[in-house]
Amino acid sequence: MKKFYLLIMIFVLSISVMAELTFWTTETESNRQTRIKALATIYEAQTGIKVNVVPIEENDLMTQIPVAKNSGTLPDILEAGIEPLLLLASENFMDKDLNTKIVDSFGDIYPGAKKLLSDADGSSFAVPFHAWVQGLWYRKDWFEPRDLGNPYSWHNILTAAKALNDPAKGVYGIIIPKKANAFTQQVFTEIALANGARPMDAQGNLLFDSKEMIESFRFYKELGKYSKPGYTDVLDALKGYLSGETAMTFYSTYIMDDIAVEEVQKSRIDKFDADLVVHTGFANKMINIRPTSYGQMVGIGILNTSKDKSNSEDFIKFLMSPKNYVYWLHMAPGGMNPTRSSIAESDEFLDNPILQRYGKEKMAEIVAALNEVERFEFIDGKVLTDMSKLDANFVIGKAINYMFANDWSPQQTAAWAQTEAKRVLGK
Amino acid sequence: MAILDNYSPLKKKEAIFGWKLVSPTVILISLLILYPVFYNIYLSFFDVSLSLGENNKFVGFSNYINILKDITFWRSFGITLLFTFITVVGSILLGLGVALLMNKKFFGRTLVRSLLLLPYVTPLIAIVFSWKYVLLPIDGPLTKFLTLFGFSSGMDIINDPNNSFIVVSIFNIWRNFPFIYLMILSKLQSINDDYYEAAEIDGANSWQKFLHITLPELYFVIGSVALLRGIWNFYKFDEVYLMSKFANTLPIYIYEKAFTGIPQQGVAAAIATLLFLFMMSLIGIYVKKVLKW
Repeated sequence: MKKFYLLIMIFVLSISVMAELTFWTTETESNRQTRIKALATIYEAQTGIKVNVVPIEENDLMTQIPVAKNSGTLPDILEAGIEPLLLLASENFMDKDLNTKIVDSFGDIYPGAKKLLSDADGSSFAVPFHAWVQGLWYRKDWFEPRDLGNPYSWHNILTAAKALNDPAKGVYGIIIPKKANAFTQQVFTEIALANGARPMDAQGNLLFDSKEMIESFRFYKELGKYSKPGYTDVLDALKGYLSGETAMTFYSTYIMDDIAVEEVQKSRIDKFDADLVVHTGFANKMINIRPTSYGQMVGIGILNTSKDKSNSEDFIKFLMSPKNYVYWLHMAPGGMNPTRSSIAESDEFLDNPILQRYGKEKMAEIVAALNEVERFEFIDGKVLTDMSKLDANFVIGKAINYMFANDWSPQQTAAWAQTEAKRVLGK
Repeated sequence: MAILDNYSPLKKKEAIFGWKLVSPTVILISLLILYPVFYNIYLSFFDVSLSLGENNKFVGFSNYINILKDITFWRSFGITLLFTFITVVGSILLGLGVALLMNKKFFGRTLVRSLLLLPYVTPLIAIVFSWKYVLLPIDGPLTKFLTLFGFSSGMDIINDPNNSFIVVSIFNIWRNFPFIYLMILSKLQSINDDYYEAAEIDGANSWQKFLHITLPELYFVIGSVALLRGIWNFYKFDEVYLMSKFANTLPIYIYEKAFTGIPQQGVAAAIATLLFLFMMSLIGIYVKKVLKW
């Protein structure tokens, strides 16, 4: 009998030693990694299943996937933005059945959030995990004395950029991105959608050279006149706003802790402006001929190649259970917003010094905007995988980069983007 | 071992022992070098599938034919040749000049010699970020300094996609000249002073001494480092990619084909194979004609 128990023990031990999950996450910052690893440790203590947390930069994800596929080291679970998830789903990497089962099991995922990670037939290629909204952050205290209104419309944005631009004093009307990367594409997306412009229609026809797109490039270039010189990027936008170098900047809700918390602000710039949070306004939508909002959904999903699907499902449910979910979301308060309505409305989620500074009402407004978020990859309930391929090649970012570098006209920029998009898609 | 039949028993034993000694190296080289090379050649004949459950499709020579018809490939090829030529010649001239200077005796020479190695020994990523910081528009220290001489503080030299080729070429010359300087300096120190004394007696001036003594003595060192740097710079990816993604050299082109957008790994493998063949032929000619081995 003793031998039997010993065998059982060895069996259980060997199972627990062998059980291991690999989790790729695009949250690469060290403080976020600390929290994720803490959650993995708690999970291991509760279940005996080890979770290997692998941080991967979002821009490097599409480079790593083919390498991992060839070497047989794809993860069990992946957390990433819509574009890579969409591409991976189109190549049959995502386990749609299992991910849909998880989404349905929660029952309280926001419909807008669910839609952004779903196929036309409603099956989810990943579980909506958390989300942010992009908009214009602006100095209310600079706008009000000049009666500039709120920077929601193209007209108001341009008027304010002109009025508040004072390079001699080291102050710029706005800071817009001009590098060939994802941030430039994000900002341009909001501008173009506000003008009813899309680079691709529902049938997959390329529309870079449409009248609306050319107008959008023109507006972007015009804003560039009142923007900080140089090929500015995401860090220029952040630091520029925090240091009072600009009146307006495009940024996601990830900026909220930088604006409100002394330690975070001081890690970016030398001085801390305690009043910045009071003097800051946020335009969460834009309008020229139609209103639009831009945001990013981050999904978490199980891959078809996962060697342990049952435990992978269990781990995702563990991460999205109330206590653990709030712990995860609070690693970037304001930036990471819940996709489960029960969590968004809970006191536990709002029990955070930063979220409290913005208030329950503002937070509700931000989270609700997720239902209205628009993106180029989705049109009339249809997913355009070709658009994700253009995103992965930074076609829009490159077009804008070249527009400023070569002083191209909006027409030249649109023509270049049209040709480049055809080349990328092999059309 | 029929080949050993004509050997005496002792020679046979020696030969077998020799094989035993080199076999770990042969196995290691096969695993680490030959296998990837042959696997790459094998892949170049396939349309490599990234979709799960789909096998690679044999396409024969079509990857090669498509590449040879691709204008972007030829443009990248031309840019890479130019990049290699400019950086090799540039770093040799700079390395030679600095080595000649450092061969003279002066106070603090040891310290200066060590400092000159810094660009080569400092981690690449640190140097790239330093360059980017120094040349930042408005706030960059060098930009601020240049405004004193009338330059615009808004210029962003390093991030302008039109400057990519120039920036990466200058960066490469600056980073790699210490390697050449070190090789040339070590040779310079071994040249016998008697040659120069004899030349002086014959009335030769400095330029004549350099042309008829120093340069011939340095011929094989310069020839060897030119070959090495040529091979390294032709395949240079890290420096170029970190400084600017717009330099459009072939390694960047291969990377884009293999890993970005819609990965075409068969095509990338075919390009790599073509480059391998090109470089092998070029090295063969160079070694025979220039190094006269």
